Amino acid sequence: MTLNLKNTFEDVGNATLFAARFFKEVFIPPYETRQFLKQCYAIGYKSLPLVAITGFIMGLVLTLQSRPTLVKFGAESWLPGMVALSLIREIAPVITALICAGKVSSGIGAELGSMKVTEQIDAMEVSAINPYKYLVVTRILATTLMVPILVIFADAIGILGGYAGINIHGDVSFYRYITKIFQSLEFLDIIPATIKTFFFGFFIGMIGCYKGFNASNGTESVGKAANSAVVTASLTIFIIDMLAVQITDLFF
Amino acid sequence: MEKQSGYTWKLGMFVTIGLLLFILAVYFIGKQKNIFGSTFRLTSSFKTVSGLEIGNNVRFSGINIGTIDEIQLVNDSTVVVGMVIKDDVREFIKTDAKASIGSDGLMGDKVLTITPGIKSQKIVENNAQIASLSSIEMSDIMKTVKKSMDNVGVISEELAIFSHSMNNGNGALAKLIRDPGMANAMDKTLNNLEKGTKGFSENMEAAKSNFLLRGYFKKKEKEKEEKLEEAKEAKEKKEEQQEKAEKEKVKTK
Amino acid sequence: MLNEKENTGTKTKADKKTAIIEIKDLHKTFGNDNHVLKGVNFTVNKGEDLVVLGRSGSGKSVTIKCIVGLITPDKGEINVFEENVLELKKKELNEMRVRIGFLFQSGALYDSMSVRENLAFTLRKHKRDLNADEIESEVLEALDNVGLSDAIDKMPSELSGGMRKRIGLARTLILKPEIILYDEPTTGLDTITSREISELILDIKHRRKTTSIIITHDMACAKLTADRIIVLKEGTIQAEGTYGELEKSEDEWVRSFFE
Repeated sequence: MTLNLKNTFEDVGNATLFAARFFKEVFIPPYETRQFLKQCYAIGYKSLPLVAITGFIMGLVLTLQSRPTLVKFGAESWLPGMVALSLIREIAPVITALICAGKVSSGIGAELGSMKVTEQIDAMEVSAINPYKYLVVTRILATTLMVPILVIFADAIGILGGYAGINIHGDVSFYRYITKIFQSLEFLDIIPATIKTFFFGFFIGMIGCYKGFNASNGTESVGKAANSAVVTASLTIFIIDMLAVQITDLFF
Repeated sequence: MEKQSGYTWKLGMFVTIGLLLFILAVYFIGKQKNIFGSTFRLTSSFKTVSGLEIGNNVRFSGINIGTIDEIQLVNDSTVVVGMVIKDDVREFIKTDAKASIGSDGLMGDKVLTITPGIKSQKIVENNAQIASLSSIEMSDIMKTVKKSMDNVGVISEELAIFSHSMNNGNGALAKLIRDPGMANAMDKTLNNLEKGTKGFSENMEAAKSNFLLRGYFKKKEKEKEEKLEEAKEAKEKKEEQQEKAEKEKVKTK
Repeated sequence: MLNEKENTGTKTKADKKTAIIEIKDLHKTFGNDNHVLKGVNFTVNKGEDLVVLGRSGSGKSVTIKCIVGLITPDKGEINVFEENVLELKKKELNEMRVRIGFLFQSGALYDSMSVRENLAFTLRKHKRDLNADEIESEVLEALDNVGLSDAIDKMPSELSGGMRKRIGLARTLILKPEIILYDEPTTGLDTITSREISELILDIKHRRKTTSIIITHDMACAKLTADRIIVLKEGTIQAEGTYGELEKSEDEWVRSFFE
């Protein structure tokens, strides 16, 4: 029990050091620009279809589900605003982050894990290439910058989905729908929601890299690294989300 | 190199569209809040702003024309409200326009409504102050309601005292209502009175038949008939007048 | 200074040669009680091929990983090019690592890159003044050295085990190292391929005048490549000598390798 606790603390400590190393190395040249762009492409662009489909469905379903309640209160006209608000503030960031945790974090965990196991990371180290810089910094930076953009896409496509949902029952012009949404939006709705997505992205990348980079030898540990990357990243997303909402609530 | 450009343009497109969407969202929300585009400012001071908040809408003739951007407490009974309004509507707001605070629906947000003035033809300046109408406060309504409730209270209290003294006091009215002895006495008196009048009328019949007094009675009967006729005439006249009045009423309608 | 060290070190038949790698009293423990290295001492002279024999878990790989600074030993001293590896700063260590080639057991090719990129990657990182054409010609030359010029556009997953090892070797050679450390170069390969690899090692030694440490339990490979052999047992050196000497060793345990 005490040993377990000690191990947990050691893990947290290692992860913290790992994250701290990122901030130290991200500013030191040489910069791995090419690798960074490649990762941005793999993480951002390649996740777009998945995020787009989920975003659309979320918008559609949210509209259909909220509609009966709002109709009961005679507040049907609030539907676009309400759907957009819940999409932008909460649902799109969290769902996108969870999808990225599943797709990106596990991918990074498995990739780096297998590189570790097949000694590719050691090979880099031995040929005097900083593997942390080449593999980890580029990936964390890419997730930190790409997840917010994916969330913006999810927001936009989710709003489109909401429009489809509204048009199943009624007929609202698209212009009117968009106007209604912007009427109900404020900066307070998008700014904190956007800021927290950077944290989501950072932790998705960081946890994936940490788990992969620290995979022990053996093929089995690759699967373990990928699995625990997803679990830890998803949990972390919820915790960050809670903290973000609390902090936003506190200051505004 | 070819391989690299194969994905860089896709990445570039992805990032550009994403950022563009974000910027558009910021722009449109900003436009909604009148941060971009030409605006001008007006201020107005109120005794109370009834929960008006920064960001609430400003309305003119029922159209949203701007937002509240500042609410400042100047002293214990004055709040200065600053508002940002679209420049396009400035020509319609004259110097004697008045600001008032109302609410949007019963539970809705507060809105600041600008009511146009009547006389002035001068357009308001930027940063000008316009007069304010004290807003209809829910608490004010409650105050008037309370006043009438107080009055009702006083009345009912007096009523209570009155009925109490009726029941328990010794005044004539109270006795009349409560005392059975009194009721009996009244009854007797009334019986006596009946008997007395009967006797009197008999005496009178006898007197009529008396020749000495016959002339007098005849004269009296004549006068009585004349009076009756007069009364009839007056009644008819009155009815006519009433009909006329009703007709006129219908006409005016 | 050098002579002193050689005297305190192991008795070698090449006393007059310069020691390039010196390892003194190396200790390493993993976890709490997994004592892998218990005082390993040996030197490698310039131009020599040293074969390290030993059963799995005897600490062979740990020893050569200590040399390139992949593993930090608990105790001991490692001198490479007359510099103590354990006291080098990160930058100095990296400068030293460029002069040492390391061939991993599996080849350790970067899965996400083609063969060309695998080779060019290392080159590009260290020789930034090279243009694309120069890199291309160097890559081709390195592949030619290992006889796999036609595999240049393949991905590592398309290669066989032997090819992976050879590409790995080409990648190691492209930086023209003075020392090459081979971690089980022939493990998992059939006899013919093993022989090819062994010959390649020998060929490289003759052409490039490199110094090597070869970890193996493949006796055919050891016989072909070894100038000198040391045998590790449970974290200490059990025996040392040429192939011929050890074959006739009195120690039965040592002799068992040769049967």
